Amino acid sequence: MLITCPYCGPRDVSEFTYQGEAGRTRPDPASTDRAAWDGYVYDRLNPAGEHSEYWQHSGGCRAHLLVKRNTLTHEIASVAFAREDQRIHSAGRRGKGARP
Amino acid sequence: MSARRIPDGGRVDRSRQVRFTFDGTSFSGHPGDTLASALLANGVSLFGRSFKYHRPRGVMTAGIDEPNALVTVLKGDVREPNIPATMLEIHDGLVAVSQNRYPSLAFDVGAVNGLAGKLFSAGFYYKTFMGPVIGPLKGTRFWMFSEWFIRRAAGLGRAGYATDPVRYEKVNAFCDVLVVGAGPAGLMAARAAADEGRRVVLADLHARPGGSANWSDDTIDGMAATDWVESMIADLSGRDNVRMLPRTTVWGYYDDNTIAALERVTDHKAKPETGEPRHRTWTFRAGSVVLATGALERPLVFPGNDRPGVMLAAAAERYAAEFGVLVGERAVLFTNNDRAYRSAAALARAGAKIGTIVDVRDTVSAAARRLAAECGAELLTGRSVVGTEGRRQLSGVTVRAFDARSGAISGDTRNLAADCLLVSGGWSPALHLASQAGARPRWDHALQAFLPPEPTQNWVAAGAVTGAYSTAEALRQGHEAGRRAAGAAEGEETGLPLASDDGLDPTPAPVFEIHADGKAFVDHQHDVTADDVRLAHREGFVSVEHLKRYTTLGMATDQGKTSNVPGMAIMAAAVGKPIDEVGTTRFRPPFAPVSLGSLAAERHGHLKPERLTPMHDWHVANGARMLPAGLWFRPQIYGLPGETIEQAYVREAKAVRDGVGIVDVSTLGKIAVQGPDAAEFLDRVYTNVFSTLAGGKARYGLMLREDGFAYDDGTTWRLGETEFLMTTTTVNAGKVMQNLEYFLDVLWPDLKVHLTSVTDEWAGAALSGPKARKVLEACVGGTAVDDATLPFMGIVRGEIDGVPVTICRLSFSGELAYEVYCGAGHGTQVWEALIEAGRPFGIVPYGLEALGTLRIEKGHVTGAEIDGRTTARDLHLDWMLSKKKPFIGSAMMDREGMTGSRRLQLVGVVSLDGRPLNGGAHIVESSNPAAPRDSIGHVTSVCYSPALRKYIALALVEDGKARRGTRAFVSDPLRGRFGPVELVSHHFFDPEGKRLHG
Amino acid sequence: MAEPLSPLQPVWQPGRHGNLSGGAGVVLSETHPSSIVQVAAWAGSERAVIEAIREATGLAVPDGAGGGVATRTKAAFGIAPGRFLVVDQAEGLETELRSRIDAGTGSVTGLSHGRTAIRVDGPKAEWVLSKLFAVDFSLTALPVGSGVATQHHDVLAQIQRSAAMRFDLYVFRSLARSFWTTLCHSAEDVGYEVI
Repeated sequence: MLITCPYCGPRDVSEFTYQGEAGRTRPDPASTDRAAWDGYVYDRLNPAGEHSEYWQHSGGCRAHLLVKRNTLTHEIASVAFAREDQRIHSAGRRGKGARP
Repeated sequence: MSARRIPDGGRVDRSRQVRFTFDGTSFSGHPGDTLASALLANGVSLFGRSFKYHRPRGVMTAGIDEPNALVTVLKGDVREPNIPATMLEIHDGLVAVSQNRYPSLAFDVGAVNGLAGKLFSAGFYYKTFMGPVIGPLKGTRFWMFSEWFIRRAAGLGRAGYATDPVRYEKVNAFCDVLVVGAGPAGLMAARAAADEGRRVVLADLHARPGGSANWSDDTIDGMAATDWVESMIADLSGRDNVRMLPRTTVWGYYDDNTIAALERVTDHKAKPETGEPRHRTWTFRAGSVVLATGALERPLVFPGNDRPGVMLAAAAERYAAEFGVLVGERAVLFTNNDRAYRSAAALARAGAKIGTIVDVRDTVSAAARRLAAECGAELLTGRSVVGTEGRRQLSGVTVRAFDARSGAISGDTRNLAADCLLVSGGWSPALHLASQAGARPRWDHALQAFLPPEPTQNWVAAGAVTGAYSTAEALRQGHEAGRRAAGAAEGEETGLPLASDDGLDPTPAPVFEIHADGKAFVDHQHDVTADDVRLAHREGFVSVEHLKRYTTLGMATDQGKTSNVPGMAIMAAAVGKPIDEVGTTRFRPPFAPVSLGSLAAERHGHLKPERLTPMHDWHVANGARMLPAGLWFRPQIYGLPGETIEQAYVREAKAVRDGVGIVDVSTLGKIAVQGPDAAEFLDRVYTNVFSTLAGGKARYGLMLREDGFAYDDGTTWRLGETEFLMTTTTVNAGKVMQNLEYFLDVLWPDLKVHLTSVTDEWAGAALSGPKARKVLEACVGGTAVDDATLPFMGIVRGEIDGVPVTICRLSFSGELAYEVYCGAGHGTQVWEALIEAGRPFGIVPYGLEALGTLRIEKGHVTGAEIDGRTTARDLHLDWMLSKKKPFIGSAMMDREGMTGSRRLQLVGVVSLDGRPLNGGAHIVESSNPAAPRDSIGHVTSVCYSPALRKYIALALVEDGKARRGTRAFVSDPLRGRFGPVELVSHHFFDPEGKRLHG
Repeated sequence: MAEPLSPLQPVWQPGRHGNLSGGAGVVLSETHPSSIVQVAAWAGSERAVIEAIREATGLAVPDGAGGGVATRTKAAFGIAPGRFLVVDQAEGLETELRSRIDAGTGSVTGLSHGRTAIRVDGPKAEWVLSKLFAVDFSLTALPVGSGVATQHHDVLAQIQRSAAMRFDLYVFRSLARSFWTTLCHSAEDVGYEVI
């Protein structure tokens, strides 16, 4: 499986570390809402199909990426920097490498 | 079969001889021969004994699909079993032996199994050896008892025990177009893609590109097909953008066009060049792939179809045309299709007498009849071979009338003398890689074959793999596939070479099995018969996947290349459904066996790289015994001659308490935390407050996980307003770094903080003991190190031996202690300067064991106690939990179950019987060693304490704090240790911490 | 102060090794830069940081992922979004950069000791590196001056193509000796010279 890092281009999955399900909302740090914290810490969707997840390019630029991946086909619909306001090098994304 | 080398023909180099041995007998062949062709040329017909019945077996194919002729290759003490003789190129000095025979290939005692044939049918072992329901060998015990004998009797080659000394390697390759298979279609595809300027790789599993063009009698572009191949090789190998990889089996098709191949680099050489690997694993990342993998001829299933001398028709054709070997003098062809007539004709031209052609079909095309007449063969239509004769070699076949629609056999038996029976049951496209790439093959009723599915990845199929068996069509498809894979615009097809057309009908009759009396083999390599398949059906197996596992059909090293389709057809007939409703099995990697060495490649021996501190060589030179800690190597002890490990660490630890010692702490994780929000960030990740830390000071910090359990600890130094140096434990360094990066990228992207691993930037030496300051005073310049200038947790910069150093007054040992950091390149220089300065004070280098002893005496925790199940409170680190701010883990750390007296809490343990304690031992209250139960906790860290002169330990014990001062027992039944202990405070030594302040 | 000690010293074997039938396919060396510095920009400050690098070194780092430039004595290239590795054979680069980049613009981290700089130079450089890294080293995918951050199993590496057939690798010092041994092993089939 290849993940196309927005900075480094397509790289083998072995360069990445899975960092869990994306889209979970961390409660306010001062919150004492037990159910909200339990949900954040323990509940995961585990869908058969489309899944949003974080992968860190730990063997490359070390950025965390938000990857939309199909868990049945391994097809990756999109990859973006996890930092929402990521403006860095938006014009400097590497091409798809080997792909024609 | 009385095979022989014919005077001319083939592409072996007849001017040179190659000497090799098979089962100890010396033979010779020519360069270009496989072991199979060379042995056939020498008249050898018997290659091995079969898996279960030890039946004599010859060679059935000429390629990767060979089920029978497997041999073991011996290289020195290294034995490699199960190599198809058809794929093994001979070289001078090759030593090959046959398999699964005892005492010899010709006389084999196991062949008696064949007489008891019924006993060994599908599932026999499991049914028979399950044993009686009662008695000493009841149930599976009998299986355990019998297994050894069974495993010895059944099987293929035997693996060896010797270490393989040769080299393997891996290489990554990127290309625009990967073409798999270098037959006519693959060669055309490679050229078309290369013409478009693409980076092209052309891989083929044989030594020479060309595929069927190497042995068919086609003409291409007005020349013999082999000459056309030569011209294509010359063209392609002259191009910079084409890489030709012969002897390279593409074996795995993974996601995103990631493709694995095995190149057999030196197996065909008597001696590899310097540095040359035996095998090379290629990992391709290909823009697109052309699958030109061809088709495999399949056998027919009939009684006696495994006798040496029975061979696939095209294989016999190939031995004649490619190797100049005639596999028999007097041949019979048995077929259900037209194409096989060409094989008969080729053999006739090579000098064999084709006595008879037996065709299961009633009517045969005119083109086929012409070929039969050309051979001078008698043509028997509507007949079938129903048996074979001969012992270790075919002497004749028996033929009866056959109805291809009903499968009924009738009429008189006719005997035909033959030393060779050519068999063809049609062709199966080699769609293994297409299947691996993701989709289910589809059944084509006319071709009686599975064809590749619609692609779900970026690949194009071309040639026989698509069911297009004519060379002209292969050339056209190859050209088109190459252009498509290269992304070329649609255009006129120009420059396509013309190929001869044989005019033969490619569709076979739907006949797979001749159901007559006698053992008819489907899977030759695993000795699975047609009756086994039917038995499996009678016993209730309906799924093809279950059928495979029950009968082991298709599960041997050839993965059923010749047997899958016939097996499925027989199953379908038994079930009474069409083949496509019974289904096909999904092919998985590898397509053909892969050497384990090629997968390990350079990762042998230690497997992992060794991570060394700047002072590593000094440690080794000064007698340190090195201990792996993750990837790191750290000194365990610096033993003196004759010292035990315990004597050494006790001496080292005592030297620290009495004088001064020095230990390498370079392995501690070090992270530069930089930026305007660095202090705020640390407040969020540590349980205690860092924003109040003054510049030039350090503070001990504790991190929790989000779920509230303790995670990691270490000191963090404030080097400036916006710069901190965080240290982590050695083992958690990588994980903590990733965790912190996650927080910044995902949780708090608004914080302006940069993290950089600087573990390797700094060499660290910890100087501990009452005389530590004196040592520094003797060697540090540029700063004072007195209590006022450098108080506890203070940081100063200075120099030692001219090298800039940063010194922080910290203590892990409980003694007056300093950590001295300098640039890693100067680590040894500074270390040696410290040792030199410490010499008058009796300085001693100490290792991990003494380090552990000193911290256990002080009750400091490490990974043994921060084990992912303990909380800060369990470890008596409550004082570090800030109430002024939230931090990672603060919301979860006090939920139900995380607090209260039932939790395991850190305690000290003192051995009362003067014997050592063991990590992992249980703490129990019962004094009865025979009934150890009701564990109240376990020992985490142990040592002999020179300060207390006792064996002590840290332990996690239920309600541990309340149990201080009570007695209990350690119970370690596995190591036979039981004894009384006292539970005490974990602060064994100097609980007030007076020594820390000198 | 003595010269910094190379971690490769005990395994350093100058001379020609391996299969030399076609000459040495690669020349392997350690470049010993006195300054290896990481510069990282806050989002939005990338251009200011690139400008500071130019002022400090004279190197004009092109914008874009992995973009970089190398001269005989200096080099700079992108290793991550907003992050650059800047290298100088001379000392003092960290101080120079710190004077130009304040905490509001970015951060400067000294790595002169923490990274070992290894050069792979020669016609077989791409081949040898392809055995270790799953990165496309062709000139079109990785033009002269540009760099990549990648890994060989546990060994992280930042690699700059400093000439058509020359690559400069920056690896963690503690793993450099193991990596060097693997590198030499991988170069045996094409022959290599250590200088």
